[in-house]
Amino acid sequence: MLDLHNLSFMSDGRQIINDLSFTFQKGKFYAITGPNGSGKTTLSKLIMGIHKATTGNIVFAGKDITNYTVTERAKAGIAYAFQHPARFKGLTLRDLLNIALGKDHKADMRDIVEKIGICSFEFLDKPVDSKLSGGEIKKIEMATTIALNPKIVIYDEPDTGIDLWTIDPMVNLLKKEQTEKGTTTIVISHNRTFLEAADTVILIKSGKIAYQGDTRGALPLLSDLSICNQNCKVHENDGCFR
Amino acid sequence: MMDALDKELLKAVSGLEQIPKGAYNIRKNGKLLTRNVSANIDIESLEGSRGIRVIIKPGTKNESVHIPVILTEAGLYDVVFNEFIVGDDCDVTIVAGCGIHCGSSESEGHEGVHQFNVGKNSRMKYVEKHYATGDGTGKRILNPTTKVFLEEGARAEMELAQIGGVDDTKRVNEAELEANSMLLITEHVLTERDQQAVSSNTIMLNGAGSRANMVSRSVIKGSSRQIFNALMEARAKCFGHIECDAIIMDNGINETVPALKALHPDAELTHEASIGKIADEQLLKLMCLGMSYDDAVNTIIQGFLK
Repeated sequence: MLDLHNLSFMSDGRQIINDLSFTFQKGKFYAITGPNGSGKTTLSKLIMGIHKATTGNIVFAGKDITNYTVTERAKAGIAYAFQHPARFKGLTLRDLLNIALGKDHKADMRDIVEKIGICSFEFLDKPVDSKLSGGEIKKIEMATTIALNPKIVIYDEPDTGIDLWTIDPMVNLLKKEQTEKGTTTIVISHNRTFLEAADTVILIKSGKIAYQGDTRGALPLLSDLSICNQNCKVHENDGCFR
Repeated sequence: MMDALDKELLKAVSGLEQIPKGAYNIRKNGKLLTRNVSANIDIESLEGSRGIRVIIKPGTKNESVHIPVILTEAGLYDVVFNEFIVGDDCDVTIVAGCGIHCGSSESEGHEGVHQFNVGKNSRMKYVEKHYATGDGTGKRILNPTTKVFLEEGARAEMELAQIGGVDDTKRVNEAELEANSMLLITEHVLTERDQQAVSSNTIMLNGAGSRANMVSRSVIKGSSRQIFNALMEARAKCFGHIECDAIIMDNGINETVPALKALHPDAELTHEASIGKIADEQLLKLMCLGMSYDDAVNTIIQGFLK
């Protein structure tokens, strides 16, 4: 479905992604985790075309999309939900859903709004601006992404700003989209609920895949401090707060 | 009689496809074109055809009055003074606007002063749109002024927009608010090429419990220039807020100066201002929804000015 071949990305002389190869299978649920700064978000932005790979190539549904723009990738069926979604002065959720659903759509926006747990339909006509809470903007980001009905979707830390009572319904919604529509789903997360929901967990360390496999195999690594790539230079007795 | 061009200008500034129902006064090239009054809304000419007085009877509810101006005559600079007297306990909408078509090398312009007295506990919505078009090389000049006086408990919502094509504009908005009155002004101005716009705003919060919110959205394209000045002065226990945002594109220049003056210890005044280009994350979000870069820019600007 989506093949990453020897993907590398350098920025300011730093190797962020280092010769990474992986194949995402159609209709599967993937969780990508790893320490802060390990390259998870960069990898997802390479897939979406927001960053251009320094070397390597990306093949999606049999087509080399390495040189596709963000717009072309979106039209090909790749979707990306931002960790820190954009806020707009003037544009409403209805405006964004209209763009996502395309011209002449007949979808009932209220269905989408209900699906992502926004209880009031008045939300549709509120500006998607800085007055929204962190949780609300993340739900809106999810709504616009789901509305695209993508073939493959990447959610970058969808649980940021989301309360504990919403995590499980959110996981259930993404699983439902995956199973009912066959959406290949990639979630970047530090949250165990997402890791446990995944068919495959991918652990990134220093721009490389340190582990790929089931959740059970990944769990011991989550408490293994050698995975951390912070390389803190503290005095022997001070230790790391972790 | 209105020709096709008149109809186009009328639609652009007031959204009207044809002559409206109810009260209206349409002015073309400095003269009255057509007028209608209603049982509750009277319109009378001021001496020397220099403007009109609109008198809305106390208690008038859910009625509107349209007073668009059309300019198509080369070299004409139309100056007008219009007065609006809104009685107590009304709920009315006033739609104004000026459309200029410049088809020659001679400049055309309109300078309109609109003065409002909104009676006790009345609600008034005022919509004013300015638009200029035509392939002439003359300048299109629009200098609108609004002066608003809100009596006790009155409420005014003013939407002021300059939607394109105006080469030079000096906008002035002045307001005085008595006790428990409320004012919301939104001003949207788009300039392009080498156009210039100056907006000067003064809001005096005189009465206890008065509230004012001034929102300005500017888009500065090409090598155009915009200056926005707003002074909010509090003379009682009241609340006021100024929000001014400008998006600069190309080589545009913007100067934004919000000023707050509290002359009462219980006054609450705030402001927020921003000037910048369209944020990358906004563009990327829309492109991730399948839009091209150009369409994304256009959508963000349209939303910003909506």
